[in-house]
Amino acid sequence: MNKKTLFMVMAVILIGVFAITGCGQQTEKSPAGTDSDVIKIGVYEPLTGASAAGGQMTLEGIKLANEMYPEVLGKKIELVIEDNKTDKTEAANAVSRLIEKHEVSAIIGSYGSSLSMGGGPVARDAGVPVVGCSPTNPLVTLDNEYYFRVCFIDPFQGKVVAKYAYESLGAKTAAIIMDASNDYSVGLSNFFKKAFIEFTGDENCIVAELKYKTGDQDFTGQLTSIKELKPDVVFAPGNYGESAILIKQARELGIESVFMGGDTWEAPEFLDIGEAAVEGAIFSTHYTEEAPVTEVSGEFLKAFKEKYSGNEANAFAALGFDAYLVVRDAIERAGSADPQAIRDALAETKGFKGATGIITLDENGDAEKSAVIKKVEGGKFVFVGVVDPE
Amino acid sequence: MWNKKNLYTGISLILFIIFIYWADNNLDPYKMRILILCGIYVILALSLNLVNGFTGLFSLGTAGFMAVGAYTCALLTMSPEMKEMAFFLEPLIWPLNQIQIPFLPALIISGLVSAVIGFLIAFPVLRLKGDYLAIATLGFSEILRVVIINAQSITNGALGLKGIPKYTTVYWSWGLALLTIYLMVNLINSSYGRALRAIREDETAAQVMGINLFYHKITAFTISAFLAGIGGALQGNLIRTVDPTMYVFQLTFQILLIVVLGGIGSITGSVIAAVIITVLMEALRVVESPMTIGPLHIPGISGMRMVVFSLLLMVVILFYQQGFMGQREFSWDWLSRKGRDNEQTIGS
Repeated sequence: MNKKTLFMVMAVILIGVFAITGCGQQTEKSPAGTDSDVIKIGVYEPLTGASAAGGQMTLEGIKLANEMYPEVLGKKIELVIEDNKTDKTEAANAVSRLIEKHEVSAIIGSYGSSLSMGGGPVARDAGVPVVGCSPTNPLVTLDNEYYFRVCFIDPFQGKVVAKYAYESLGAKTAAIIMDASNDYSVGLSNFFKKAFIEFTGDENCIVAELKYKTGDQDFTGQLTSIKELKPDVVFAPGNYGESAILIKQARELGIESVFMGGDTWEAPEFLDIGEAAVEGAIFSTHYTEEAPVTEVSGEFLKAFKEKYSGNEANAFAALGFDAYLVVRDAIERAGSADPQAIRDALAETKGFKGATGIITLDENGDAEKSAVIKKVEGGKFVFVGVVDPE
Repeated sequence: MWNKKNLYTGISLILFIIFIYWADNNLDPYKMRILILCGIYVILALSLNLVNGFTGLFSLGTAGFMAVGAYTCALLTMSPEMKEMAFFLEPLIWPLNQIQIPFLPALIISGLVSAVIGFLIAFPVLRLKGDYLAIATLGFSEILRVVIINAQSITNGALGLKGIPKYTTVYWSWGLALLTIYLMVNLINSSYGRALRAIREDETAAQVMGINLFYHKITAFTISAFLAGIGGALQGNLIRTVDPTMYVFQLTFQILLIVVLGGIGSITGSVIAAVIITVLMEALRVVESPMTIGPLHIPGISGMRMVVFSLLLMVVILFYQQGFMGQREFSWDWLSRKGRDNEQTIGS
């Protein structure tokens, strides 16, 4: 018994020593790594956990951009990648580690607004700029002058879909089904509602507002109450999985309204799960292959296919690609690797040509750029049109 | 001998405070963040251990109570201007939109709100035993999360809260952790604590001995909810943003892991395991970064530290089925028997 406790204590101390020396070695290496011939850009993305797929897709885009444009100011750009495990506490830790241990000049990340909000305050305190790829929650850049993003935000996307529904589809009534546990879905729905009321000038144009929760499989309750109301469109932004099942069940119940959503629908899984039911579904997204917005889009698409052998490029990879290029552009304009100088240069980003469109960062650090409308047709995503910001 | 032990405890406490003071002035923000997290996890692990380890009630409700504590503290400490900005979909209800109070009262209120909710939940739930109790508490924790998601005008729903002012320092986290340890040690060694352990060993026997089962269980559950609320409030304040996705089952599992590894029913075990797991989780990031060992270049593989971590867990489970400490506690007698200095001095 006594021997065992002693052994245990020794084991604990050993593990402790191992852990501490592990940290120690890293710190010693760090100053040597910050030679003036290397500029470090940190990346924190969910590479494991619930959002791993999104994080990996984004990382593919960032890595591709790094391969195509590996240098700035005559120095090599080194990517330092940290996993945040789809965990807010870890996200904050990861950003802190990138700043303190790796002394990065700027940071890219993260997929998922919640994770970005975890990392934001740390970067702000340390004065290191962060460029988000796809966190669309307006709160991410709110009151944080060090956080920027290359995607459009939920309010804009909600408005774009409402505009398209009213002007191009001639819709007069709409029903909203939102995923109440998903900030993205809640944000989009609310701004769709505001914009749609504004466009139609009719206070009662939203005939129903229903909620569900991420992970739900049965939506017949919500859908039955919509069936009698016969709205022109049903706006149901949410994760592709739930949305596809929802649309499938709606068609089974005989609901004929047009289903509309946001950029999350642009996933092959959406088509696989929804099959014939999702035909005709319309959504807004970041970019399109059919009509490359800029010359960079074409370049990106070609390189992506080459590097990831035939895989279709997706919006997240494109946004990751753009985030890297925007940071690189800012470093170039700043003329130094000083985080503060990079931040100031980032804030002045105007008309930057990225793969997802022409990016201008506004006073909040949000990107002003055009959205693309796509439709499901013949089991494929088909480009319908472009909606510009006002 | 008794006085000597007190002297040892006093000296080690002073040494520990000096260490904290040194760390605060010398370590970089990243290391400090981990140190602060260690303190928070100590509080949370002890909260869960009180119910799971000492009372023998298998509860999985920690995440829910943490959420209540974190939201209460966030709403009380955020500035009215920040609240107005964050609640852009639906405004925050009165009077919460006007209130801003200092950190300490906010912390205490967070603990109390969490304790009240724990108390209310305990009434129906504590009629159950074993696995059923675990499922029921897990369910309630999930219900709390769903309520938070849907109470848009109080919690900002799925959007979460942002812009919580920064208060949590290492003094707050470890100060409260030490206070919690002190409280737990005294609680467990009191007649009340002995009653709890009697309930754990055999409920019927305890009842026959005249222990009021329901009263003791409900008090333990409420104290645990109070501590979880405080821990949650500290964690939310450290990250400075809260949202419902943080409080999923995984969070409870993480704390349960600390309790099980440390030893179910051991304060010392919980403290040691909380510190080791928190530090190791970050230290093992090294194995995920690209490495060059001689001619061999290994690209960074994400998720590698989970593999190493699970291997370590397997070793522990194989060789210490009871966790590091089992039900034993640290005592100065260890020194008198075998001369071996130990850095874990915060026990009894």
